[in-house]
Amino acid sequence: MRKPIALQAFLATILTALSLIMLAPLIHILSVSLSSPLYAQAKLVYFWPKGLQFAVYKKIISMDEMWRAMGVSVYITVIGTLITLALTSMMAFALSRTTMPGRTWIMRLIVLTFILPAPLIPGFLLVKSLHMLDTLWSLMIPGATSAFYVIIMRTFFRNVSGELFDAAKMDGCSEAGIYFRIVLPLSTAVIATIGLFHAVYQWNTYFSALIFIRDKTLYPLQVLLQNLVAKKGLNNFMGEVQFELNMPVTPEMMSAGIIIFATVPILIVYPFLQRYFVKGAMLGSLKE
Amino acid sequence: MNRRLVLRDKWVLLLFALPGLLYFLLFKYVPLLGNVIAFQDYNIFKGILRSPWVGFAQFERMFGFDDFYEVFRNSVKLGFYSLLFGFPAPIILALLLNELKSMWFKRIVQTVVYMPHFLSWVIVGSIFINLLSYEGIVNTIASKIGLAKVDYVTQGNTFIAVLISTGIWKEVGWGTILYLAALSGINPNLYEAAMVDGAGRWRQMWSITLPYLMPTMVVVLLLSIGHILDANVEQVLIFLNPLVRDVGEVFDTYVYTFGLVGGQYSYTTAIALFKAAVGIVLVFGLNAISRRTTGESLY
Repeated sequence: MRKPIALQAFLATILTALSLIMLAPLIHILSVSLSSPLYAQAKLVYFWPKGLQFAVYKKIISMDEMWRAMGVSVYITVIGTLITLALTSMMAFALSRTTMPGRTWIMRLIVLTFILPAPLIPGFLLVKSLHMLDTLWSLMIPGATSAFYVIIMRTFFRNVSGELFDAAKMDGCSEAGIYFRIVLPLSTAVIATIGLFHAVYQWNTYFSALIFIRDKTLYPLQVLLQNLVAKKGLNNFMGEVQFELNMPVTPEMMSAGIIIFATVPILIVYPFLQRYFVKGAMLGSLKE
Repeated sequence: MNRRLVLRDKWVLLLFALPGLLYFLLFKYVPLLGNVIAFQDYNIFKGILRSPWVGFAQFERMFGFDDFYEVFRNSVKLGFYSLLFGFPAPIILALLLNELKSMWFKRIVQTVVYMPHFLSWVIVGSIFINLLSYEGIVNTIASKIGLAKVDYVTQGNTFIAVLISTGIWKEVGWGTILYLAALSGINPNLYEAAMVDGAGRWRQMWSITLPYLMPTMVVVLLLSIGHILDANVEQVLIFLNPLVRDVGEVFDTYVYTFGLVGGQYSYTTAIALFKAAVGIVLVFGLNAISRRTTGESLY
């Protein structure tokens, strides 16, 4: 029995190393944001903060534009996810019923969108002609549902017991009644899964906002982050920050802090929700 | 059951499906019709109806432009290397995870490796631009152990490698889920029987595990090849900078930069249409070949 133990030790080593590669970048960024400028500037900070300080975060949470962008992101995440769930579940419900007229054709229409490419410029012109530019609708409506979501939900709804429907029908329950009183309460698992998938998608909205939003007050967090960190927009007011904090804070420290600020919401919910995400990805792998 | 009620139910169901149906028609099919601007000299003030038609002039212009060939080459190169390294990575990781005996350890590793999938490209890009910059931690460590400093994100010969490796960093864990699902469907008796017959670990992997993964692998491979020219536009846009434009500009960033920002609507739509046509031909062609040779296909 020596060999299997050697194999397990080998696997454990490789996979531990891999996990560290996944975590190290975040830990380093966190450490830089919490270190004193002296150590950060001398490049002495690796994976543990040196000369602990919180000034960077004090500055970040005092920035109005940060909270405004966070608010926009929360808004599109909550409202966008509700729109998606309503639209998807209603459509999936109708398509899961055998009495629905034309359901095969509608299904074909939907499945075809899997392989049809979504052209960027015509998509932009459509949103423009709908007068959605520079509104938050442009971030929620064009991506509101997808063939993937509809098919997953429909498959799930179809597996909800048909006998229950028949019994409900006998008792005079309408289709709307079946949707609200039977299908929705019995499908919380799939609704949570799709909802969480979409919430992450909405929270990470970046490219759509880049295209559709010009008004700075409507920037979601990702766009603000990109402007401040990757495009070095921070450098314009570093002097002001250093004066305010009375500390030679470097642009790297500020950007590290902003990255962490934008990452924390996802990292907080992630461990609790991972279960649903994995389930959803598996549902998606079902080939019909 | 009452006929009037049945009729009413049908209308109710249609009403339920209506918003979704309108959504698919408006946001998935109308833009396809909008592709006609590739055959126009589209003017944003005149709109599609009153813009002049120019036939294939935009396509002729495209094939006569050096830019187009550069972008084409970059996209193929990026797509090819993404596939070469990005396709086997999650398979290998899934096989490693599958061999683990300790369930709690497996769960911890899974939790950690899935995590980057949920971070946005803006966050991942910002982190790696910071780490890989000339003054970043990677170069600090490299110079401590006597290696030369390299500005990875602004060097033409390292830029593609940065895109590929950050892509793998973000998605490798998530990519294992499909394969782990397929692996969990293998009957353990098969391995026991193979062991009784004297098959070693490699033999078992070759004769049992890989054949079971084959359908998933073929589907993933076909889809990835069909999308070989579709770079992740968010990722490339975030890493792209003027110093690497000659190797890093791909179709999607080109359409964004010159079409949306630069206002060349018709010309870049023609380019996007060309790219989409290549993708569709690839998917259907490879699917037919795969059906004949491996018996696996997408549909």
